[in-house]
Amino acid sequence: MDSEDDMHDANDVDSYEEDYYSGDAMYSDDDDDAGYEFLDNASDDSDDVSVSRQQKNYTILKEDDIRQRQEDDITRISSVLSISRDSACMLLRRFNWNVSNVHEAWFANEDAVRKAVGMLDNININPPKAGELPCGICFESYTLDSVSTAACGHPFCNTCWAAYISTSINDGPGCLTLRCPIPSCGAAVGVDMVNMLTSDEDKKKYRRYLLRSYIEDNRKTKWCPAPGCDCAIEFDLGSGSYDVTCYCSYSFCWNCTEEAHRPVDCETVSKWIMKNSAESENMNWILANSKPCPKCKRPIEKNQGCMHMTCNPPCKYEFCWLCLGQWSDHGERTGGFYACNRYESAKQEGAYDESERRREMAKNSLERYTHYYERWATNQSSRQKALADLLQMQTVHLAKLSERQCQPETQLKFILEAWLQIVECRRVLKWTYAYGYYLPEQEVAKRQFFEYLQGEAEAGLERLHQCAEKELHTYIDGNASQEEFNNFRTKLAGLTTVTRNYFENLVRALENGLSDVDSHGASSKTSTSKHAAGTSKSKSGKGKGPTKGGGSTRADDLTGWSCDQCTYMNPKNATSCQMCHTSR
Amino acid sequence: MQASRARLFKEYKEVQREKVADPDIQLVCDDSNIFKWTALIKGPSETPYEGGVFQLAFSVPEQYPLQPPQVRFLTKIFHPNVHFKTGEICLDILKNAWSPAWTLQSVCRAIIALMAHPEPDSPLNCDSGNLLRSGDVRGFQSMAKMYTRLAAMPKKGRIFST
Repeated sequence: MDSEDDMHDANDVDSYEEDYYSGDAMYSDDDDDAGYEFLDNASDDSDDVSVSRQQKNYTILKEDDIRQRQEDDITRISSVLSISRDSACMLLRRFNWNVSNVHEAWFANEDAVRKAVGMLDNININPPKAGELPCGICFESYTLDSVSTAACGHPFCNTCWAAYISTSINDGPGCLTLRCPIPSCGAAVGVDMVNMLTSDEDKKKYRRYLLRSYIEDNRKTKWCPAPGCDCAIEFDLGSGSYDVTCYCSYSFCWNCTEEAHRPVDCETVSKWIMKNSAESENMNWILANSKPCPKCKRPIEKNQGCMHMTCNPPCKYEFCWLCLGQWSDHGERTGGFYACNRYESAKQEGAYDESERRREMAKNSLERYTHYYERWATNQSSRQKALADLLQMQTVHLAKLSERQCQPETQLKFILEAWLQIVECRRVLKWTYAYGYYLPEQEVAKRQFFEYLQGEAEAGLERLHQCAEKELHTYIDGNASQEEFNNFRTKLAGLTTVTRNYFENLVRALENGLSDVDSHGASSKTSTSKHAAGTSKSKSGKGKGPTKGGGSTRADDLTGWSCDQCTYMNPKNATSCQMCHTSR
Repeated sequence: MQASRARLFKEYKEVQREKVADPDIQLVCDDSNIFKWTALIKGPSETPYEGGVFQLAFSVPEQYPLQPPQVRFLTKIFHPNVHFKTGEICLDILKNAWSPAWTLQSVCRAIIALMAHPEPDSPLNCDSGNLLRSGDVRGFQSMAKMYTRLAAMPKKGRIFST
């Protein structure tokens, strides 16, 4: 199976990366700028921390790349096994487009594979040389030229073939495994017949399904979920962070395909999203009337028939509607079918009361939820606004500012970097509220530590956002001197770095599951509780920053010292701030 | 619409010809609507349905034969794969395994085969399915036989008379 990976690497597409925490990639070409000394320091430092994270662990595939790969795989199979491209395509689809699996299965038992896929060994029912044939669907007789057959030789008129294939295509991706209409036959109807017999529209749909199957059946590839984006992402499984960024600049989590949510894990995110939409009518309906397929998780509505459910192709998972268990596990052991024992016993064990009780509790804690939701949603909209501002900056303001300050746009890059940082930080901050909601109340130390980190990060971000949003405008609209502008440059670039460091800290802490709390011991507990108290205020006072001047008093009675520049709590023995490198 | 009508008409003519050939199935087209059919099928021998005559109602969609016809029992029947109240039939060829090569006649044959070989693994009639699953063949057979007598036989066969 590994051999396949190697093959894919050959036609790798350059992956495009945006790792905001990596630092060095962005700043390395700015050495010539005077205002940047303190940035360079920072990027050197962040190098060793995050270099392991930014290794390229995914590849973005455009539609053409996907087709190319698909074609290559088909060519490879068809030449190695000496079969038609049509058959090769069916084989590959059957084995989820895994070339080595096809080889393995084929050489282990060719006959079984042929049978499973419906590749008949040309056992044609000798067609008559002349005369007429009856169509097996409309029962009319036709001359030979208006009748077609699959490999099996069962004759159907071209009109009925077109209708048959078209019906199947409109039924969904199951058309990729279409067979001869004769129930006992099983000869495959492949892409060749589709191309020969159907309308252009159907051909297009079929090709689309084939392309989708290449991405969706493959364990290592997924579509970019952004609307209108046709790219797919191939991900190296088992390699670090799931966050990927597509060409369309949409960042998402490859694992759960929700938008990127590092450092919060997928489970929390899905719970949170579920929770957010729990109020909506739509979700209520889905919950009340459907169940997710136990295998592929698509919601399934049961509208008729027995409890034996079969999910749509390609999933085809068979399960019991009552207990959602695998159907093949059912039988005498569960005490018959309709009275599925597991359902009954679950009811007896109180699992249903349990969920009822949980729902009740959720209602009671609505207030708490609203607190977190508001902050989550505010950051979300704030991020959207920042994205729009960034675009505006790129397209309009930057040129204007460049004129006014007589500086080339390349030297104004720090502004865009600040905005990119804001956008990214809003995203992280947003998800930390989902994290905070699910952090157990009783874990007091962790909560305090988390709220402290979150508060610090948020305060930093508010300062940065304020600076980029409000102060910048005085330079765009007003006539500020060169010197003033240079000061502003230093300030904004500094804030960008500091904020990035704060968030890097926050992300790292959350990804460790706040495990630092255990090692910090009792001494830091008192300090964090103090900070937590302070920061909860700063959260509501937007853009105010953390309690200023508090730094000196804190430094005296505690184990560390607080930086005057960025308020980070440094250990006692540090001579310069570990965050922003200002000396003590 | 035209295609389905033409095909149904072909089937109609075929049915007239085959009537003698298959005495177990009697397919009748509605006088005024070619999309509505009824069938009388004989319960297969050596089953609890033997001796009974069961009525089926066919409702044929306009997309026929690309879409399957809807079939249900009008006669009450005690069978794991037939809904006891509505007569709905759980049979793969009437759902996802449908093929346009099937005809109304062959659907009837498939239903007769289903009567002889119930699939208790996909029950629509829970009680019936569970009897078979638990191995109580005799219990199942006597229930099925009773309902056959009650619902699928001429009045004189009723257990209460004589």
